[in-house]
Amino acid sequence: MYILGLSCYYHDASAALLKDGVIVAAAEEERFTRKKHDTSFPLNAARYCLESQGISINDVHYVGFYEKPFLKFERVLSQHLQMFPLSLKTFLSSMPSWVTEKLRVIRAIRKKLSYQGDVLFIEHHLAHAASAFLVSPFEKAAILTVDGVGEWTTASYGMGEGNEIHLMKEIRFPHSVGLLYSAITAYLGFSVNNSEYKVMGLAAYGTMDREKNPYYKKLRQVIDIRPDGSFCFDMSYFVYHYHDRMPSKNLCDLLGGPVVQKGAEMNERHKDIAAAVQLVMEDILTAMLKHVHKATKSPNLVMAGGVALNSVYNGKILSQTPFKRIWIQPNASDGGTSIGVASYIYNTLLDNPRTWKMDSAYLGPSFSDEEIRSFLDGNKIAYTQFSDETELLEKTAKLIHENQVVGWFQGGMEWGPRALGARSILANPCNPKAKELLNEKVKHREKFRPFAPVVCEDDALTYFDCDVPIPEPADYMLMVYPIKKKWQKKIPSVTHVDGSGRLQTVRRHQNPLYFDLIKKFGELSGIPILINTSFNIRGEPIVCTPYDAYKCMMGTGIDCLVMGTFLIKREENPQDKWDSEKSADD
Amino acid sequence: MSFLKGVRQGMRNFGHLISVLVNTALLLVVYLLGVGVTSLIARISGKQFLQMKQGKKSYWSDLDLKKRPLEAHYRQF
Repeated sequence: MYILGLSCYYHDASAALLKDGVIVAAAEEERFTRKKHDTSFPLNAARYCLESQGISINDVHYVGFYEKPFLKFERVLSQHLQMFPLSLKTFLSSMPSWVTEKLRVIRAIRKKLSYQGDVLFIEHHLAHAASAFLVSPFEKAAILTVDGVGEWTTASYGMGEGNEIHLMKEIRFPHSVGLLYSAITAYLGFSVNNSEYKVMGLAAYGTMDREKNPYYKKLRQVIDIRPDGSFCFDMSYFVYHYHDRMPSKNLCDLLGGPVVQKGAEMNERHKDIAAAVQLVMEDILTAMLKHVHKATKSPNLVMAGGVALNSVYNGKILSQTPFKRIWIQPNASDGGTSIGVASYIYNTLLDNPRTWKMDSAYLGPSFSDEEIRSFLDGNKIAYTQFSDETELLEKTAKLIHENQVVGWFQGGMEWGPRALGARSILANPCNPKAKELLNEKVKHREKFRPFAPVVCEDDALTYFDCDVPIPEPADYMLMVYPIKKKWQKKIPSVTHVDGSGRLQTVRRHQNPLYFDLIKKFGELSGIPILINTSFNIRGEPIVCTPYDAYKCMMGTGIDCLVMGTFLIKREENPQDKWDSEKSADD
Repeated sequence: MSFLKGVRQGMRNFGHLISVLVNTALLLVVYLLGVGVTSLIARISGKQFLQMKQGKKSYWSDLDLKKRPLEAHYRQF
């Protein structure tokens, strides 16, 4: 039995295909259209899912959609009714898309996919909950979902057991942890639904002491947080419920100035504001989780929703709450709901037992050596082929050790926002200039943003103060932990200003080639850790195809590309027609 | 040929402009008469569409979302 899950029309459109209880393919639409956070109908992603299994849409038994559109529309109308006449501008700008596509989901599915079968609709936070629980390693677990907003819900908790989910309580719009974080993201001049992780990175530069951070106290005034983690905003500080902006004039006054211009240099005030929102969010989530534990009495926790991508807080959960084990959907934001929808239909609605747990994120398109060779030859690209895996590992490790920046394109593309060793840029973390080198050559990121380390799971405790046993979400770069003091100066490029690192742990069965490369690099450098950053140009999605990877390398300062068993060097190929830097954006 | 292409493009742009104007005019009428009148009546009768008031002991609301028959999921609401 095949079930196709879809999410689209808000942000991060995606498709996932389930075959007899196993997610066999999943991808986000942005990787195909090359538009970051693409919201459009995930036609390319759905096509990939079907083609990967050699089936047509006629073989699909159910298509599931990640929300109840009419319920969401009810909420949107309620906003306009409540805020009349202030909501006129957003009414005029948003209604056409509701009328033409968002309320016509069945029509879109039938027309774009030529699908005539059953279409099922799952509530947004139920889809999040399913994406976290039904593919987790737990038979029974507490569930917490926290995001911007679904239909009405902005946060919910409940319990999963066997193949059933019961969401018990919710926080309703307009009160939303996700939207609070987004409002401050917007205030600091970053793009909403895209750059929240930058605020998280910036927070470490600010005052993380609740007593000393002046903005923490100010932000707490805006929110009434109850001991059970529920909360209510003073909405005079926000305008997102009726405007296309987020902070109100009151919030600007409270924070001591107008909204920061895009691209402005971050000063101490900005850093403290970032730290303040991180602290407030942590206050809310810690209180919520303690309450959820009390209500469910489960030692296991699963999480999803965009807020669950806050890896700084994720790394504190097991030490600050009574939960003993944790699992987080690697694609925790809306993109991940397509997996949730497909799993919920198969396991819960059709009452099939859970037989699959998500153990790696390589669910996207992969390319054989023949396909890669065909691309290289077809474009007259100079390359060499490694004779075997040993040569590939030895030469690649040597290149990285010599401070070369290496594009690493191997196997199935990652599911979710993080590059995890299938579409990664790798570099030497022991090189004190690696951060500047990567920024200068490739990423052009804000100076305050750290790069992430990748380490084999069996070495992680040597270098990082992780929870023990190391939680599986660390495999998906979802946990930030302190780097042990002894090593901080030896791997400066991946050590954040507060001494932490957003590590990825790799278990050999997940990605043997990647695992062995890290070990091989360790033999050369004495430290089996690499810098792993996403294989993309600033403002573009992570690369998907050999074409995307080659274009990215040639347009940036990546020195070479290890794609399948091929080594392609930038200096050996003409650069003029592949200038991808021109398209770099936020 | 390029002249004809230009004319076609111009007509398309003109058509787009007209549709934007008509849509905006229609939506404005809907907003003022539909949303506006309903909103005024709601205000008079004290109806709140969004819960904005602070002061509760807890802001958790009952959700009780669990397995329902398959048929319930054919609905978009």
